[in-house]
Amino acid sequence: MNLLTKSFLLLIPVAMLAGACNTTDEENVTPTDDNEAITTATLTLTSQTTPVQTVTATIENLNTSADLTNATLNLRVNTTYTGAVTLLDKTKTPTLDVSAEVKTEGNEHLLVYTFTPATGSPASLTVMSTDTDTNPAPGPYPIGLTTQVRTGAAGSGKLRLVLRHQPNAKNGTAAPGTSDLDTEFNVLIN
Amino acid sequence: MRGSWKIGVIVGLLAGSRPMCRAQTACTTVLAGRILSADTYKPLTGATVTIRQLTTGAVADTAGYFRLSGVCPGNYTVEYQFLGYKSLSQPVTVGSDSVVTMAAVALPVDNQTLQEVIVTDRRSEAQKLLQVQTALSGSALDATRGQSLGESLKGLPGLYAVQTGPSISKPVIHGLYSNRIVTLNNGVRQEDQQWGSEHAPQIDPFLATRLTVIKGAASIRYGSDAIGGVILVEPKAMPSSPGFGGEVNVVAGTNGGQGVVSGYIEQALKQIAGLSWRLQGTLKRVGYARTPDYYLENSSYRENNLSGTVAYNRRRGGAEVFYSQFNTHVGLFTGAQVGSLADFYAAIARPEPLSQPGFSYDLGRPYQHVQHDLLKFRAFLRSERWGTVTVTIARQQNVRREYDVLAFSRSTDPELYLKLVTQTADLVWEQEPVKLAGRGQLSGSVGLSGITQGNVRRFLFLIPNYRNYGLGVFAMERYATARWTVEAGIRYDYRWLRAFFLDESTNAVTARTRDWRNTTGSLGVTYQANQHLTVSGNLSTAWRAPNVSDLYSDGLHQSAVAYERGNPDLKPEQALNTNLSLEYTGQRFYADIGLYTNQIDNYIYLKPDSVPIVRQRGTFPAYSYSQVLASFRGVDATIRYKLTDRLTLSSRTSILFAYDRTNHSYLVYIPPNRTDNSLRYAVGQMEASARKRLSGLYVSLTHNYVARQNRVPAVTQRQENGQVIFTGDFAPPPAAYSLVGAEVGFAWRVIHRPLTVILTGTNLFNRAYRDYLDRFRYFADEPGRNLILKLKLPLGL
Repeated sequence: MNLLTKSFLLLIPVAMLAGACNTTDEENVTPTDDNEAITTATLTLTSQTTPVQTVTATIENLNTSADLTNATLNLRVNTTYTGAVTLLDKTKTPTLDVSAEVKTEGNEHLLVYTFTPATGSPASLTVMSTDTDTNPAPGPYPIGLTTQVRTGAAGSGKLRLVLRHQPNAKNGTAAPGTSDLDTEFNVLIN
Repeated sequence: MRGSWKIGVIVGLLAGSRPMCRAQTACTTVLAGRILSADTYKPLTGATVTIRQLTTGAVADTAGYFRLSGVCPGNYTVEYQFLGYKSLSQPVTVGSDSVVTMAAVALPVDNQTLQEVIVTDRRSEAQKLLQVQTALSGSALDATRGQSLGESLKGLPGLYAVQTGPSISKPVIHGLYSNRIVTLNNGVRQEDQQWGSEHAPQIDPFLATRLTVIKGAASIRYGSDAIGGVILVEPKAMPSSPGFGGEVNVVAGTNGGQGVVSGYIEQALKQIAGLSWRLQGTLKRVGYARTPDYYLENSSYRENNLSGTVAYNRRRGGAEVFYSQFNTHVGLFTGAQVGSLADFYAAIARPEPLSQPGFSYDLGRPYQHVQHDLLKFRAFLRSERWGTVTVTIARQQNVRREYDVLAFSRSTDPELYLKLVTQTADLVWEQEPVKLAGRGQLSGSVGLSGITQGNVRRFLFLIPNYRNYGLGVFAMERYATARWTVEAGIRYDYRWLRAFFLDESTNAVTARTRDWRNTTGSLGVTYQANQHLTVSGNLSTAWRAPNVSDLYSDGLHQSAVAYERGNPDLKPEQALNTNLSLEYTGQRFYADIGLYTNQIDNYIYLKPDSVPIVRQRGTFPAYSYSQVLASFRGVDATIRYKLTDRLTLSSRTSILFAYDRTNHSYLVYIPPNRTDNSLRYAVGQMEASARKRLSGLYVSLTHNYVARQNRVPAVTQRQENGQVIFTGDFAPPPAAYSLVGAEVGFAWRVIHRPLTVILTGTNLFNRAYRDYLDRFRYFADEPGRNLILKLKLPLGL
């Protein structure tokens, strides 16, 4: 057997190996799956004074390009509202209620609300959390899933909603931890 | 420590046995020299050199050079032989130096000699190439034991490491890394998602007895992509003389409570000549690293590796099967986890991480879990007339899972899953050297290599599923005379890549296909001016097809706080690389000065986009892949001077200038200039002795200086239409730093075997510093003082 023949014999395992590969694996593309997507944030405000007014604003598709068509809160001046936040992950089947998970693990989550009036607008709005976690002293600290919202003068602005994840670091302030949600609702006060 | 019982059993088995195989005890010195013909002063290719007392030897290469590694300290007689020439012998004393360079010997012609020469040692693969290279072996490699591949190579001139905290380290050659470097693990091109700057090479450094680095483009032999260089992880040659052998390594470090156990056992069978096997394994555990002031939470690291080889080697042919598995869990420092740009700036502004727990070995989210399996088959046939044909086929499977911190979901899934299966096949024919009548000799090789890869992703999208094919053909020829060696090579490559995308609204899969072809060439010349001075020059072209992440990545890179967009229209990178090297070897003085310039057209980099991306966690700066003309120029210098017989001064300096010639600006993440200087003093008896318990004692003191990187793109951010626009980096480069280290090493005779003991101290003054090439430099300091004890015990029965 000459060298050439032997070389060709050596190539047989190469051909076997090449033939053994499955080329269809990569053609089955699995959809994107985010463990921690938040697709929808809804803010519901119910006035504590009569006539009872319920205002709802929703931001959809937060995890991709946010849809802000229903993201405006039309509020009355000098009114106190009871606020509630619902966060959903609609990419999961069934839809995951993120706000319920945040409530369960309230000791490491904090919702932070910041109102910024539009340039030159006298509008004012304050948000106060009405729920608390079970952190030991110096806790407990607020969570922020339920709130009391008080409007002042008329005008417009933006209400920023930030969900902070603060494992083993929650101290009642926004500083520790990382953000899982950071979005803005439009506010009109008439 | 699952699996440590195996080593315990091995130790137990071997402890009771009698020592026999002294020649296999792995010592550390490299003996180098050159064999020439006395009448023509031409290199004697194939001449053998043997150490009479050790019965080991080597063969001179086409330029007449030889290297004998793993020589113990002692007094020896070295014998030079070549068919048709008179043999010569010469005494040599090997001390504690890592390299002993012998004066070139000239063998006189003898027509009476008819003894056949037997090849006894395998040459290093890279030594066959005429290119600028540097290597880590012997005692220098022993001193890096316990470190990752990237960290081990960092000490070599022209090499750096890009880090992601203390647990992830990627080698950088002359400023280039990731896909611009090819790593060969035991002769197989390592394919492990190397495009990611936080993806460390999945290779166990304990596999190697020699780490060779080819600096500069080496595409001809190792394929396209290698525009920065090649790293060869070369294992010890399989045993050839019958009997058992082995080695146990133990490394323990104070910082991070590091513990490593690695070992192998091997046997050459007596019944079937040429048949041998080896089993090797490594276990590594590291806890939280400690900076001078605090622990880095979750910077733990776990690694379990094993490998096995069965080889059958005869003079005229042989075959080898090699399997290895690398399995690692890499914890990522939690203080570097940020949800948004606002978090990132808050973290940068903090002088110290918020959370500073005590020491622990815990490893939780965020972490990476990577398993790399390699199965290789290699066979060769050799004939005096036709040369040598070698076939290598291999299958690699790399499964990478990356787990991020979970805030509210209770998922046990990773955020990123990538499975890459690579098949490679190489066929190389090496011509038997042809002697031209009195005018030097010709040698060469021709080869064919093929590769196919399939990638499957799950969970978040970072890179798409893809299939690629590559085919390369190369030819190299070398012509060597007494003083001149010239080598030329040419290569043609074809690459084909098809990526698959899912339209989630219609569930339809679409494919995008691209292909590239290119021809590259190289020319190298070496001139030996006299027995002290050698000058070499090398000119080569190389190219790299854009990889799948350059083309199609599209997603939020959470750890980099960046939204990265691929560019499907990228053109291949084209490199023109020039190297010039001067090597002087004197009695007391040694110098190796290398100059290089690497001009890369269509250099692919991440360009900051003007419009940031808004996602649920906030605003992120966006980057897209773009191309410029980039140049990398630098100097690598190694100088050694023997102040006295016992005291040696070594100095290594690496200088690099990189520039973006298209935008007339600097490039980001370019290694800063550095210089490492050390003094080494040999104490007491330098040679190993059967009677003395202690030998080869040395003490060394090292000073490393890393300059501040001042050549960086300007760091700016401005508001435009209410959006923040970034250029350059997020933070200015950290200050220059210098570190002091020390080392003590010796051999101690235990149960008739030399136990190598090395105690190393790094960052002895516990200095707090940050390194420009560490991606976690924004968040925390580098580790502080570390005392590392390394033990190596050869086994044999």
